[in-house]
Amino acid sequence: MNDSWIDPTRPEQSRREFLRRLAAGSALTFAGGAPRLLAEDEVKHPAARADSCILLWMAGGMASAETFDPKAYLPFEVGTPVEKIISTFPAIDTSVDGLKISAGLPEIAKIMDRGTLIRSHVQPDLGSILHSRHQYHWHTGYVPPQTVAAPHIGAWMAKVLGPRNEVMPAFINIGQRLEGIGESEEIKAFTTGGFFGSEFSPFNLPYPEKAAEAVKPPEGMGPDRFGRRYRALKQMLEHSPKGEGLSDFHQESMLRSLDAAHRLLGSPKRKACDLADEDPVSLKVYGDSRFGRGCLLARRLVEEGARFVEVTTEYVPFVHWDTHENGHKTYERLHAEVDRPIARLIRDLEERGMLDRTLVIIASEFSRDMMIEGVPGSNAKDQSRAKTDVIKEMKHYGLHRHFTGGSSVAMFGGGMKKGFVHGRTADERPCLAVENPVTIEDLHASIYTAMGMSPKTVFDIERRPFYATKDGKGKAVMDLFA
Amino acid sequence: MPRIPTPIWLLAAAAPGLAVAEVDFAHEIVPILRENCIECHGGDKSKGGFSMNDRDMVLNAGVVDLARPEKSWLVELLRSEFEDERMPPPDTREDPLPEEQIKLIERWIGEGLPWEPGFTFGEDRYEAPLKPRRPDVPAGEGNPIDRLVDAWLEENGIERPEPLDDAMFLRRVSLDLIGLPPTPDELSAFLADESPDKRSRVIAGLLARDADYADHWLTFWNDLLRNAYDGTGFITGGRKRITGWLYGALHENLPYDEFVRQLVAPTKEAEGFIEGIQWRGEVNASQTRAIQFSQNVSQVFLGINMKCASCHDSFTDQWKLRDAYGLAAIYSDEPLELNRCDKPTGEKALAAWIYPELGEVDPQAPRAKRLEQLAGLITHPENGRTARTIVNRLWQRLMGEGIIKSVDMLDTEPWDADLLDHLATELVEKDYDLKAMIGLIANSRIYQSRSVIADEGSSSKEFHGPVMKRLTAEQFIDSVRQVTGSRPQPGKKLSPTLEAVAKAQGLNAWDGRPVRAALQELDPFQAALGRPNRDQVVSMRPDLVSTLEAIHLANGPEFASMLREGAIALLASNRSADELVDQVYLAALSRRPDAGERSIAMELISQGTPEEGIADFLWTIFVQPEFFYIR
Repeated sequence: MNDSWIDPTRPEQSRREFLRRLAAGSALTFAGGAPRLLAEDEVKHPAARADSCILLWMAGGMASAETFDPKAYLPFEVGTPVEKIISTFPAIDTSVDGLKISAGLPEIAKIMDRGTLIRSHVQPDLGSILHSRHQYHWHTGYVPPQTVAAPHIGAWMAKVLGPRNEVMPAFINIGQRLEGIGESEEIKAFTTGGFFGSEFSPFNLPYPEKAAEAVKPPEGMGPDRFGRRYRALKQMLEHSPKGEGLSDFHQESMLRSLDAAHRLLGSPKRKACDLADEDPVSLKVYGDSRFGRGCLLARRLVEEGARFVEVTTEYVPFVHWDTHENGHKTYERLHAEVDRPIARLIRDLEERGMLDRTLVIIASEFSRDMMIEGVPGSNAKDQSRAKTDVIKEMKHYGLHRHFTGGSSVAMFGGGMKKGFVHGRTADERPCLAVENPVTIEDLHASIYTAMGMSPKTVFDIERRPFYATKDGKGKAVMDLFA
Repeated sequence: MPRIPTPIWLLAAAAPGLAVAEVDFAHEIVPILRENCIECHGGDKSKGGFSMNDRDMVLNAGVVDLARPEKSWLVELLRSEFEDERMPPPDTREDPLPEEQIKLIERWIGEGLPWEPGFTFGEDRYEAPLKPRRPDVPAGEGNPIDRLVDAWLEENGIERPEPLDDAMFLRRVSLDLIGLPPTPDELSAFLADESPDKRSRVIAGLLARDADYADHWLTFWNDLLRNAYDGTGFITGGRKRITGWLYGALHENLPYDEFVRQLVAPTKEAEGFIEGIQWRGEVNASQTRAIQFSQNVSQVFLGINMKCASCHDSFTDQWKLRDAYGLAAIYSDEPLELNRCDKPTGEKALAAWIYPELGEVDPQAPRAKRLEQLAGLITHPENGRTARTIVNRLWQRLMGEGIIKSVDMLDTEPWDADLLDHLATELVEKDYDLKAMIGLIANSRIYQSRSVIADEGSSSKEFHGPVMKRLTAEQFIDSVRQVTGSRPQPGKKLSPTLEAVAKAQGLNAWDGRPVRAALQELDPFQAALGRPNRDQVVSMRPDLVSTLEAIHLANGPEFASMLREGAIALLASNRSADELVDQVYLAALSRRPDAGERSIAMELISQGTPEEGIADFLWTIFVQPEFFYIR
């Protein structure tokens, strides 16, 4: 691939400097609305244990009893009262003594000794336990709606930690379509840089196999033409009789942004986006699913310096993990879809010596339970589509109702303990977290701490302090750290 | 390796189940201090030589013992049995502070006196006036704005910026008033015109283009009134559009007092604004419809940020929880209970207006009546706040920065109170005519001056002249389409937005004008260029171009296809390459290229197919700051 069309005339500017000046600029120009870092000196950032973060998002509510926290298994049998069903998969051994996870995840079982499993993640019940609201809460740390647009955790990292590599967008979001699906407006509401502005918004790659196109010259334009066009622009700017105003920071920042865009689009690093470039064996292991391809893409992007990458199984109402009926059969497919790619991702990172400095998180907005939605007394609406008291047919068999009382989060690398389990849920229904519950605030605080960012990091927005974790109160669960 | 050094965490770890939350300075301590101590020991008061303005002052006064908080003199005084030494003194507060509050103070001291970084009670608070005021305008000729600004500039030793030449003036005023650059024909006619009043005639002419004016200002008002065509809430019918009403109001230049009244005490067509968004599921107490009403009405019309006060008494201004709920109760059909930080307080909110000196809302009156009374109070002749808020917004739209730069915080001191007050009284005297106001500003010499080169770090009290503004997403797209002659027509079936707009113009069908971007749904390209989703009130969009935006400009499919369509339209005009370059420069930048630019452009156009060459040339024009910014 010919990269010589990159115009080398512009002196390299460090991205950090660019962002710093950009931030200074925005503080001036929208003084009323721009976020301002409060008391930078007084917030002490911990030393970073990880440089990159990959969030593997099990969108739609992954039932922990069918994945990372199996309970008593009852096979399918017509006539079984539904309240007796907790797990529809048997448990299998893992590489950690005494730790079992659900059958269907054999490859992940083999790598459990590389990470920490939290089995006591809890969420508040936000009314009808709506996916998009809980996903908003999980991704921003704030319960919607908010009076200001809350930034995604990836935007926080992009803003506070900055990009690792100047040409690579700091916050990349893989696998979630934002148009043409149900609740897309609700998804967009948290897939955003929020009040940090679009500079910190995600670089969205809904189709991993098309990622290469997103960083290529527009369709129908070869690199020669793309380079020629940019060179002509630069020449024109030099010749412009109106160039005297170019020292204005508005214009400077515009030109810097164009330059940064062209650096990305012209950089050899953009090949990270091109899965066609990947070893065929590796492609095969990651599989054909969008999620599998997304995991592979995430690895490539992190290798080339991405800071935060989210890969989602994609949230579409009533699809994927959002099982309101036929849960068991759906989980057979989902297990197969995520098992190998996740395990391969961890192994790839390990083999490349990157796992220690990369935090990989597997999480979901809440868990599922067949019988009880949310906590007892919750006013959550019953969305179960297969209503029955006893199992009559296969579609009744599975976990279908939303449950916020105890879910599982797996974390690999990034300074986490290896082969460790934190927290416990009850073995009997409702399988509430009964030991060391971990809230979203504390989970985020742990993630930020691993990444070297204080959970108390605070910005002033509309004269209100807005913290990385709600009210600055998230506390890292230090037990998770090696 | 640093750990998270929080004593409370250690405590919780040592004694599971005993996790006591850290004292929350802002939410728990500040209200106690403010209510009981600050009147005598804060601001410019320091009775007994003791001020609590900031943490150091408290620490250094020797009244706290961090190691033994209960032995702190401060705590002892709070608990003192002797009335002559007890704090607060009995003449300000009969009983001692409740024990739980003293316990909080004790814990606060024990935790090392945590303090909100940068927070002080000592701020020299500016008291924003409520009543209208007509300041003396310096004697002399010409626009009173200029007489005031000249006096201010002189007093502050700041040079007046250079005047704008005709071509730059026309480009600026045209983009500012109707959102489009002048066409080459408009430009040459204007340059050829030698009459001395040609600028004011062009301003009047632009303002008279009702549909173009409304198409453009719809963007600003949609943002401010959060009128979206699609988005959160619509899926469940929890939100209503006001497009038809709003377009009609702009199109007929509805007087602003009437505009406000119709929004606050609305008919069906306009009720979407006060009805806000019914979010799905349970929302916290500060986002119910009634509280949204309180927040949005005060922000949009009065420049008051009621968001803090809708959770707790504000720490940064005078607004209290009761104020926020008082406004909310005007809207609410059901009795409202005050919630502090999302917890019920047991106190019932009473419908109340926030400036009782102007009058009151009768809490016993039915809802429609209460809203009517509120609308009357917001537009009360003695309420200068409403007029100041809107003229400051208009000034900001035209000049790049407000007279109060934080356009939603009208309690902030303006850089020139006389100028702000003058404009506000002018608006009222001109019968709340917004177009007349825009015309007044556009006719000033200061508006018709060159943009000043903005630098980092100017303060809220600084003014040097107009500041550059970036094109909004809508202005950018409309301008590109106008320059290339590829402006879209509506499809056979009108979208609900276009239908509402046509109706608002009093028409049964579309009038044949091209469809402006403001009337189209939000798409990824417009979003990348900064058009918000309008879930929240937006009064100012970010004005810098981000890298993600630049990526869209460099390779986004939407922009690429606009350029392709543009190239095809230009090719169809059968111009020579030379003429075409001239035409594009004139249409886009209101000037001709110089020799250097021309030869670069010609060279670029000659490469590849004619369509490619022209598309690439267009790109180099549209991504230049000279095009992207209104200078």
